[in-house]
Amino acid sequence: MSEGLGLADGAVVVAPILEIRGVAKRFDATQALEDVSLSLHAGEIHALLGENGAGKSTLIKIITGVHQPDSGQILLGGQPVTIRSAAEAQRLGVAAIYQEPLLFPDLNVAENIFISHQDRGAVVGWREMFREADKILAELGMTLDVRKPARGLTLAAQQSVEIAKAISLNVRVLIMDEPTASLSAHEVQELFKLVRDLKRQGVAILFVSHRMEEVFEIADKITVFRDGRLISTRTRLEATPQRAIADMVGREIDLTKARTSCAQKDVVLSVADLGRQGVFEGVSFDLHRGEVLGFAGLIGAGRTDVGLALFGIEPATSGRILLGGKPVTVRTARDGMSLGIAYVSEDRRQLGLVLPMSIFANITLPVLRRYLSRLGLVRTGLERRTADTFRDRLAIRTPSVDLEVAKLSGGNQQKVMLSKWLNTNPSVLILDEPTRGVDVGSKAEVHAIIGQLAAEGIGVIVISSDLPEVLVLSDRVLIMREGRQMAILDRAEANEETVMTAAMGQRSTDSIDGRPS
Amino acid sequence: MSAVGTLKSWEAMMLALLVAIIAFNSVGSPYFLSVGNFVNLFQLSIEKSIVALTMALVIIGGEIDLSVASVMGLAACVMAWTFHAGVPMPAAILAALGAGILAGLNNAFWIARVGLPSLAVTLAGLIGYRGVARILLEDRAIGGFPDWFNTIGQQALIGPLTAAIAIFFVLFIFFAIVLHGSAFGRLVYVVGSNAQAARYSGVRVGLVKAALFVGSAFVAALAGILYAARLGSVRGDMAEGFELDVITAVLLGGVSIFGGKGNLVGVGLALLVILNLRNGMGLADITGNTQNYVIGGLLILSVLIPNMWQELTNKWRGRET
Repeated sequence: MSEGLGLADGAVVVAPILEIRGVAKRFDATQALEDVSLSLHAGEIHALLGENGAGKSTLIKIITGVHQPDSGQILLGGQPVTIRSAAEAQRLGVAAIYQEPLLFPDLNVAENIFISHQDRGAVVGWREMFREADKILAELGMTLDVRKPARGLTLAAQQSVEIAKAISLNVRVLIMDEPTASLSAHEVQELFKLVRDLKRQGVAILFVSHRMEEVFEIADKITVFRDGRLISTRTRLEATPQRAIADMVGREIDLTKARTSCAQKDVVLSVADLGRQGVFEGVSFDLHRGEVLGFAGLIGAGRTDVGLALFGIEPATSGRILLGGKPVTVRTARDGMSLGIAYVSEDRRQLGLVLPMSIFANITLPVLRRYLSRLGLVRTGLERRTADTFRDRLAIRTPSVDLEVAKLSGGNQQKVMLSKWLNTNPSVLILDEPTRGVDVGSKAEVHAIIGQLAAEGIGVIVISSDLPEVLVLSDRVLIMREGRQMAILDRAEANEETVMTAAMGQRSTDSIDGRPS
Repeated sequence: MSAVGTLKSWEAMMLALLVAIIAFNSVGSPYFLSVGNFVNLFQLSIEKSIVALTMALVIIGGEIDLSVASVMGLAACVMAWTFHAGVPMPAAILAALGAGILAGLNNAFWIARVGLPSLAVTLAGLIGYRGVARILLEDRAIGGFPDWFNTIGQQALIGPLTAAIAIFFVLFIFFAIVLHGSAFGRLVYVVGSNAQAARYSGVRVGLVKAALFVGSAFVAALAGILYAARLGSVRGDMAEGFELDVITAVLLGGVSIFGGKGNLVGVGLALLVILNLRNGMGLADITGNTQNYVIGGLLILSVLIPNMWQELTNKWRGRET
């Protein structure tokens, strides 16, 4: 960290730590990167923006030695370098942190921090290791039991361990690839505190995020990629979210305009004192036809659990559910489905979709019975017609509905999931993190679709950790904290401050303590 | 390369291999291309071929059934034992099929209901069902079945085909339709690809798995009875070790051991490849041990080649552009 100077925001005078000159990379027919030049200075937070497939990930993989550039140069501290592997990148002081932390769950925190230190001799000096791990975490302002296994740490705490790991390696360049994607607003603030600390210590940070407001909160410089090309690099003062989005998608998109309400009078779903032993309790609300009810709260507050209870995957153990005024019992997902409840999972890849199967097979899966001929055979022609209808309706971009879902972008996968559940004709649609890992263009489309569905009279529940999204979409916002319902706010009362206050239980001084709540 | 492309190229590869083996064999031995040899060749391991059909479904469904050979032995022993005890043969056959269904239900209970891994449950079944079979018959060999029963196993029934071969073809068509045309078949692929996503889509995953294991054990019991008919007598160690040959054929047929991928055409081709290869080697006086060695090598190659092919095409494409 020799070049590290305590610098004021954006004011950088020394030569860059990392310089990328004219880097290009091609995969098969795709030009993933084309003539990209970028420099990163000590104590600078440089944000990379771009839709999925714009080239950010490829650039990161080149810097961390996963891919080799076809042409161009990488300079570290002014010296041209060839980075052949992630281990070599680490030796050069380049570390990366990803959306999903890559910790070893059965090793303790200290072991995880020092996992890359292989030159410490054959015998583990536990005492010394624990002491050093404690020291690093203390410098980061973290309190974690370094003797405990990493299993069970919250995502936020795991991320902190990743950062501690990077620091133990004397990192000069830290790459953060969507580190906030799975964090709640509060946890994001804690993470940002760490990031600013690192910046003060002279670490250069490359920060990738889809969340515009975060980028504008923390970055000194903002670079936008589109189709493998670097479109613009601006200082934060020069940049605006509108300009950045326009650069990303090549047109103007506004994600801040609130949806016009179309809530009707009649209640479609009424929940009274719903609970699941040891998970959540005392959840009561009415959902009207055409209403969008937002579920806000920190990760682990129980929002997803309420969704799963309503759908029947993890049934409720107390309370009542009324659908269209009639009490119902939901014990399995089949119950939920037959009652007209649909749950679109937050985890597209594991729970939402069967990735190796075709688009049409995914869409018809919950109601396959509707597609059987008299002999009991599946009528794939009919399936394809249904899928084509949804392809047009939701603008799923694919050459054919026979394509494997795995081959689609995140946004299009999300639309396939939506199609799958709309095809069940639900009266209540529960959307869990409907725009996670989805690019800005698709996000706007998903928002528009949600508006349409509400207008058609479906009662929609949107569970989202993206607070601006909740506020823009919802007629009312239900806020949960640690398995309890804290408040339901009307659109007029709901803003970032009121929602966060409720989500934090009125005390906003809690910090990440690393233990799951 | 898409999944469809991979499958097609896989079958093309098996077909090319099959044609090469048949060509080689027919040049090497004048007897090879005769109908008699062909029927013979099929007949010699027809029971394994039958069990391979349901095994393919089980593995595509993301599970495995190691107990099939023991269920074959169990069914045959139950049949022989009840027959020996004076029960008429048709009833003894029904008892054998019933024993198969019970074994399948037992597997299904632990796997689909309790949620234990099928590898462990059916390994226990492999040992347990064999144990029951051996207890029933001790060290005896029971034979002396009615003539009509032995005829089923040994005489040509439809043209040159024996009953077992005819049953194989009927089952092949039946299971091909079930797997590739029915809703159940679709669910087998779904469960094998991602059982969690299936559950979140309202699929009764346990029911699909239970059906697979009961079906597998039922067909294994049927194969055990046919095997007894062919041999004319039954012993406690009957069909021991067959499960490995069956699984080999299924994997060679392009079915992924991780589930969700494969089809019955590939499995059919793999069965023919193995039969012809063994037969050719037999006609060329190559011993059984060497034959096993060759089949093992083929299995390794069958996994290796598609991966290498993928890598080569990637490299080649990268250079071209």
